[in-house]
Amino acid sequence: MPKVLLDWFYVAVFAVVGTLMAVLPLVVVWLLAPRADLPQKTITYESGVIPFGQAWAQFNVRYYLFALVFVVFDVEVIYLYPWAVVFRQLGTFAFAEMLLFLLVLLVGLAYAWRKGALEWV
Amino acid sequence: MNLASLQADLWTVAPELWLLGVGLLTLLLDLVVPAGRKAAVGLTAVVGLVLALIPTSSMVLWQPRTVLFGTYAVDGFAVFLKIIAIVTTILVILSATDSMGRQTRFEGEFYALLVFTALGLMLMAASTDLILLALSIEYVSLTSYVLAGFLKGNPKSNEAGIKYFLFGATASAVMFYGFSLVYGLTGTTNLYQIAQRLSAAPVPALYLAVALMLAGFGFKISMVPFHQWTPDVYEGAPTPVAAFLSVGSKAAGFAALVRVLVVTLDPSRVNWVLLIAVLSAASMTLGNLLALPQRNIKRMLAYSSISHAGFLLIGVAAFRGDFGTPGVLVYLLGYTFTQLGAFFVATLIGSQLGTDEIPDYAGLARRAPVLALLMAVFMLSLTGLPPTSVFLGKFYVLAAAIDNGLLWLAVVGIINSVISLYYYAGVIRAMYIMPAASEAPLAEPAGLQVALGVTGLGTLIMGIYPQPLIDLARSAAVLLRL
Repeated sequence: MPKVLLDWFYVAVFAVVGTLMAVLPLVVVWLLAPRADLPQKTITYESGVIPFGQAWAQFNVRYYLFALVFVVFDVEVIYLYPWAVVFRQLGTFAFAEMLLFLLVLLVGLAYAWRKGALEWV
Repeated sequence: MNLASLQADLWTVAPELWLLGVGLLTLLLDLVVPAGRKAAVGLTAVVGLVLALIPTSSMVLWQPRTVLFGTYAVDGFAVFLKIIAIVTTILVILSATDSMGRQTRFEGEFYALLVFTALGLMLMAASTDLILLALSIEYVSLTSYVLAGFLKGNPKSNEAGIKYFLFGATASAVMFYGFSLVYGLTGTTNLYQIAQRLSAAPVPALYLAVALMLAGFGFKISMVPFHQWTPDVYEGAPTPVAAFLSVGSKAAGFAALVRVLVVTLDPSRVNWVLLIAVLSAASMTLGNLLALPQRNIKRMLAYSSISHAGFLLIGVAAFRGDFGTPGVLVYLLGYTFTQLGAFFVATLIGSQLGTDEIPDYAGLARRAPVLALLMAVFMLSLTGLPPTSVFLGKFYVLAAAIDNGLLWLAVVGIINSVISLYYYAGVIRAMYIMPAASEAPLAEPAGLQVALGVTGLGTLIMGIYPQPLIDLARSAAVLLRL
């Protein structure tokens, strides 16, 4: 097979295998899995908790603001843990860098606070 | 990891760190400055940005190298585009200090967002690693979506924000798929290592990767066929934002495009030259033809910006020799001054007369003679007539095309320049020949006057005495390859 065709062959294999990876599990499940049409199966999955009310309920937009502020602290902790583990080896430079990082997040918190995002009216 | 060298590297990104500080300061100032005096926040940001120009421009003469584990280039090309990004942001903030206060109560955030976007543009211009490039493009995109939809009470601005977001998210996703293909083919995300390992990669897959990546870059520079968002977003977004997007995003997009294509992908391996040349001709022609019937100045400038993206692509396609890459830089700087100036006039008319329609520019020559004269200069410059800055840029990219044997592309470019005279001259005709609806002189706010003065002088000086700039662009472009 000429070189160019071989190269295109890779692309074709890539495309076919990629499609199969998506389609095949669905087909296999459809063929093999036992079917039991219990009423519980139509219930919305909410991490194992039995759902109540309708999913179309209106949520207070404030939840969104709190979620955003939560992300600030969440991300902060993700980076603080590995930093704390190797803190002794890294020395003052890493300490200063982390303080700078925290300062940036602090500005975010101060901004949210001052704009009233932390108040529940 | 060598901490000492990392600390030395930090000095090379001092302007970026400084801008981060300026952005945070702007955000904090907004919290304490009372409503009605928010223009002071914008002026503080301007001072910070002007100060950032000093360390940035001192880097033009530095030995080109990569820093921060090879992910970030310090070369003349990056520095040149960083300067364009900072100057653009300064002028846009100055032009917005008058009108934004009346249109939104979140004026302080507007300036902070612009400063942060400038930081993103600088990162885009210097990234030499696919991951950093992807992150900086995403960063610029996210802040731009917010800026486009900044006027929350204005349905058109909302439409602009949503459209920009939907187009941008799709284009980014496609481009990242291209990045991942390149990584899969070469086993590295570093652009210079990719360039070395390219010979081992299968060619068809490389073509696929280039096509996918072009979707993302093409979106940023509003290249045909990824241009459809441009008129709607420019029309709906606040006019200073439209000015910013049409210059800042485009310049940074070209920086990323040139770095990926010219530095990384050897045309003898992946022949992207013809592809770019065809897309260039398509952008020029389609942008021009669609600009012809426009009556809204922002839509007209949007279509004209598509056609200018086509002209800039000539310089990318004809990158070999002495004219191509310097031509892109010269064109970008000249276009920055002229396009910003035209949008600033539109900002002033929009805020004083409340209209963006070209027929409403009637009689401007009598109501605001200096403004009309400047607008006429900008329109002639966009057409590419001497002695103006865009003429210089067009001269360079057309010379590059002929130098590279792309004569047909140069011919398409010249024909398109002639066509574009029609709609640019339409604005001049409205201002100077059409009878005015009113004779009342127009108020011209100070911030806009300064911004217009700088853009007007820049347009003319570049056209009349271009030699220092040409030397600078040449030295900046030669440094491009490490």
